[in-house]
Amino acid sequence: MIEVTNLRKTFYVHKKAPGLRASFRSLFHREKTAKHAVKGATFRVEEGEILGLIGANGAGKTTLVKMLSGIIHPTSGDARVLGHVPWERSNELRRQVALIMGQKAQLWWDLPAADCFLLLRDIYQLPEQEYRTSLDKLSSMLGVKDVLNVQIRRLSLGERMKMELIAALLHSPRVLYLDEPTIGLDLTAQKAVRDFILEYRSQRAPAMILTSHYMEDIERLCKRIIIIREGEIVYDGGLRTVVEQYATEKTVTAHLKKNGELAVAKPEVARLGTVAECNAVCVKLRVPRDRVAEAAQALLHHYEVADITIEEPEIGQIIEQIMTARGGSDAGGPGAPESLGAPSIAGSSAENEEEGS
Amino acid sequence: MSLRLFRRLVFLEASKLMSYRGDFWITAVANLLATTVVHWFLMRAIFDTTGAETLGGYTLPEIMTYFIGVNLIGRVVRGADLQMGIASEIYDGGLSRYLLYPTRYLPFKYAQHLGAIIPEIIQMFLFAGILIAILGLPEESGVTWVSIAMTLPTLVIANLLYFLLSTPIQFTSFWADNVWSLGVLLRFTSLLLGGAMLPLTWFPESAMHALRYLPFVACCEFPVRVATGEVTTLGEYSLGLTVGLAWCGVLGLACLPIWRKGQLGYTGVGI
Ligand SMILES: Nc1ncnc2c1ncn2[C@@H]1O[C@H](COP(=O)(O)OP(=O)(O)O)[C@@H](O)[C@H]1O
Ligand SMILES: [Mg+2]
Repeated sequence: MIEVTNLRKTFYVHKKAPGLRASFRSLFHREKTAKHAVKGATFRVEEGEILGLIGANGAGKTTLVKMLSGIIHPTSGDARVLGHVPWERSNELRRQVALIMGQKAQLWWDLPAADCFLLLRDIYQLPEQEYRTSLDKLSSMLGVKDVLNVQIRRLSLGERMKMELIAALLHSPRVLYLDEPTIGLDLTAQKAVRDFILEYRSQRAPAMILTSHYMEDIERLCKRIIIIREGEIVYDGGLRTVVEQYATEKTVTAHLKKNGELAVAKPEVARLGTVAECNAVCVKLRVPRDRVAEAAQALLHHYEVADITIEEPEIGQIIEQIMTARGGSDAGGPGAPESLGAPSIAGSSAENEEEGS
Repeated sequence: MSLRLFRRLVFLEASKLMSYRGDFWITAVANLLATTVVHWFLMRAIFDTTGAETLGGYTLPEIMTYFIGVNLIGRVVRGADLQMGIASEIYDGGLSRYLLYPTRYLPFKYAQHLGAIIPEIIQMFLFAGILIAILGLPEESGVTWVSIAMTLPTLVIANLLYFLLSTPIQFTSFWADNVWSLGVLLRFTSLLLGGAMLPLTWFPESAMHALRYLPFVACCEFPVRVATGEVTTLGEYSLGLTVGLAWCGVLGLACLPIWRKGQLGYTGVGI
């Protein structure tokens, strides 16, 4: 459904020093700086798939989505959405695509939602019957039937976002881009939006690309993720497999029998990994994956253990690490997983996709 | 763009303006009164000092009729021109949403522009009716039902023409950040060269002749003269319409490559 090949976007920004003199000089001579927002993205998204696009602020997520929805032209590279080049903006393609932006209202600010929807009906030339049934279904699913006649600008952020969702789905798009759809929403509204997206997927099986800051969104909605860092795709694969590939350590925790004594970190144990916690209740040890058994044994041997747990690190933490690790020379520095710099990982894990389910 | 969508846009825009701008009527009345008073004193002074009965073919009441006509018709032609809607949408990224819709941007904007002037059209007829009822028409005035009917096509052309004049200017917003001053320039030029500040007959003969072939006259002086019954021959009437239409064609065609080039570099800021 969506095929992206080596897509790049470079923005040129005019540099101008502050001050009147600099302004005057810039009239005649303007210096341009290049900002490589997306540096060669290659991936595919299939029907019914929700791809999570994760990255820090400024990583290039929105730029990628803007190219795929046809708002901007790429600097180089190619993309096909439903067989069309998105930035050629053929009407046939645009009738089947929708973009939802959490950060920017798309609906007409000073019209009530009901009027906006009528306008969209005419823009997409929807048959009356189809329009009525989808509007009815969508608005009752999201519980906004009673505010349809209120001007958009008077709605709460959550209500407005729901209206944006309805507006985007009225024409039943087969391709859907969601750029931070839950940003700024409270937990209930976030959940409503997520449930709604899942519901829509089960009914229509569109291809979706979702960008979000909230790990919760990603964990609930996506089986496959792409992590983008400074414009480069550094991971493309299953959400769960990211743990196996990047989490080099596990946490082994020995919960101690209650005897009121403070446990001391014994050197026999400490040499196996990092002692994260050591007190009267538990001893917590972070060890490389291949030394987990050894560590558990050592703990059992050296302490009076009531229970023992072995945990993977949180997905969110790992992704956070991958997202924010510096590319290039700094990779592999303290705290960074060793394999971070390896470009071979991107695109190699199509076979892993189902593992997250 | 379907006719149905076009109609809906016009309707929505018009009802929006009518319902929410309470100051709209006050501004309109104040504007008409102020300009008319200024013109009245100015013209009386000119006629008094020269001592002439007519100037450039106009008597004092006739020239006042002309200026009131320019005021009423001008607002219908220009609509909300100074708001530079297209330029600001390019500047603030509002254009993005229209690029997603399966419809064309310019017809969309034109429909909204038309919708925005519907209140002005209503005002034009209302004010003209009130003024004629109170002051009456000057002697030998040519305003008739026929002249009013003949004005309608000229207004349609004038409105489209002014929109198409301002569009390429607004498109420069793809390359430059502050194009509002260009909008002011266009307005001033069209008022001056279109005969809104001085009647064209007051210009030198050769200039007057040349101006007839520029787009500005079709936006301003021509519809007014048709309304007041000064355009009497079919030849002159059809020449005026043809000049207006030809410029619409030229400018419409000019918009296309500018748009194409501009949207290539559009970066959709703001998201
Ligand atoms: N219209 C633009 N003009 C210039 N630079 C831009 C523009 N849009 C984005 N950028 C730059 O490109 C980078 C990626 O931005 P963006 O795709 O919006 O990031 P994200 O959505 O991942 O937070 C940022 O460094 C940003 O400064
Ligand atoms: Mg973004």
